Amino acid sequence: MRYIREMLLVMVLVFSCSESSDIAKYEPVSVEVEMPSNFPDMVYNMDNNPITEAGFELGKDLFYEGKLSSNNAIACAFCHEQAFAFTHHGHNLSHGVDGGVGTRNAQPIQNLAYQTSFMWDGAATHLDLQPIIPLTSEVEMNETLSNVISKLEADTDYQDKFARAFEDGEVNTENMLKALSQFMVMMVSSNSKYDKYVRNEDNVTFTALETDGLNTFNNKCATCHATDLFSDQSFRNNGLPINPLLDDKGSYDILENTEDLYKFKVPSLRNVVVTYPYMHDGRFTTLEAVLDFYDNGAIDNGNVDPLLLREDGSYGITLSDYEKESLIAFLNTLTDTEFLEDERFAEF
Amino acid sequence: MKLLKYTFALLACAIFTNCSIDNDDNEEDLSGETGELILKFDNSVGDQDFIFETSYSKSNNESFKLTNVKYIISNVRVTDTEGNTFTYPTEENVFIVSELNGNNAGEIYITLNDIDAADYTEITFGIGIDQERFALGADGQGDFLDLASEEGMMWSWASGYKFVRFDGTFSTDTVTDEPLNIHMGSVGEALDNYREVTLSFPNTVLVREENSPEVHIVADISKVFDGATTVNFADGYDQVHTDETETPIIASNVQTMFEVHHVHND
Repeated sequence: MRYIREMLLVMVLVFSCSESSDIAKYEPVSVEVEMPSNFPDMVYNMDNNPITEAGFELGKDLFYEGKLSSNNAIACAFCHEQAFAFTHHGHNLSHGVDGGVGTRNAQPIQNLAYQTSFMWDGAATHLDLQPIIPLTSEVEMNETLSNVISKLEADTDYQDKFARAFEDGEVNTENMLKALSQFMVMMVSSNSKYDKYVRNEDNVTFTALETDGLNTFNNKCATCHATDLFSDQSFRNNGLPINPLLDDKGSYDILENTEDLYKFKVPSLRNVVVTYPYMHDGRFTTLEAVLDFYDNGAIDNGNVDPLLLREDGSYGITLSDYEKESLIAFLNTLTDTEFLEDERFAEF
Repeated sequence: MKLLKYTFALLACAIFTNCSIDNDDNEEDLSGETGELILKFDNSVGDQDFIFETSYSKSNNESFKLTNVKYIISNVRVTDTEGNTFTYPTEENVFIVSELNGNNAGEIYITLNDIDAADYTEITFGIGIDQERFALGADGQGDFLDLASEEGMMWSWASGYKFVRFDGTFSTDTVTDEPLNIHMGSVGEALDNYREVTLSFPNTVLVREENSPEVHIVADISKVFDGATTVNFADGYDQVHTDETETPIIASNVQTMFEVHHVHND
């Protein structure tokens, strides 16, 4: 009898010990970040925010977390759906909490660690700080940083996840933003047919139409859609007619410099086939409409990029029907199915 | 034997004397000792204390009334009589001075802990967020992002800090009580409006474990408009946000606002 009692006591002790060791603690298991050989150098400084398994997982949870918005329903993923390279499927403008409607088309989330600025107007220059914009925007998530943190702090799951992801284990804004960056830094799209073609992988070859498209692209598009990121990361006015309803002045809003009027960031063309609709306000629903615009739709709105000035004084890029057809065939080679279906980034 | 005793006695004397001489030379040994340093920010307009909603006149027959006076102070460091500089730990070295948080005398306190005990002669601090700190992103920002966001010191449409906020109304010969909003900051890497000031203490500040000196800093708000450069509301300086010409002028004016009025050593 006494023996059993002692056994029980030992068991209780052992049990309580094992329970205390279950408390979440920092587990810095580092994760290798893909750096494709055909990409320029990474811009994001991972020394300040090393990517770990737990940090990445926390970032993913936060990306799909409705609590980041004031009605607890609008997660980042609401406007950034994986199947569409993390854009808002079919929406020219996106809607946030309480029926708010934004003024610009949701941009894809891919290869952000390689970008020098974010948003259509470059309003964010550090990836860590970018999420503050949608999170606090009234027409998007309409929250405050401190309120989001109190919601996360009240959740024991998140307490554990933050403890595992960060050395100080604190549920705070710094760690929330770092986790989101870790998730986004990992989101690299670099395995399209085009990538495999330029890296000579898997014996991938281009059809004659795709090759012609690539040549036309290099001759007529690649000055702005430069490098294998397909953007020179500059801000340019491409001669879109002004939508008076939105009267979006683009990067002019940042410095209020008239030289920046109607300039928007040159978007990457990766996965462009699935990221429709196009342009900063999503006015074009097809790539054909985009190419037709460059061929004969641009207007002189006062500050059009001189690169688009044609000999006859008009703005645009002259494209024959065949050039358009082949360009679209080429643009189709930029679709990276591995990325669009990568389970590491998927909600479920 | 006797001799040996004397030798010991002499040796002991020598040691004691030595010690006491050492003490006299260095006055006191402060190594490892730390203490508090309190910065008291006190906003004024010229020779008047700043009070919300009070009308103050400036140059060009213009006047202003403010409902919001806030600025970010960062990278505080102090230099001692020997020329050594003590820099407050980077992560904590950023503060928001808001008139709304002032006591009845309109003083806003910043308490700096664990300052190396020493005799300090000058203080340097920045107004706003320097490029190096901004480039860290979220790293090392702790809860400052929340604080800045709550205090309205961040733009919601861009991921940048407002270094200063002066909100209220202004009047000129032709208009009365029109909105006045001076929100100056850096814009990413494109426009760097971070500025630093170095102020000498009128008398040495003695930081010790047992005393917490107070440095009374007066910030003359009139300098925002009549500082290094005189600016007029009528010329567009009623709304200053990110303009490339206006903001550096405001930044340089703000830089001239500060003065150490006096120091209390106990």
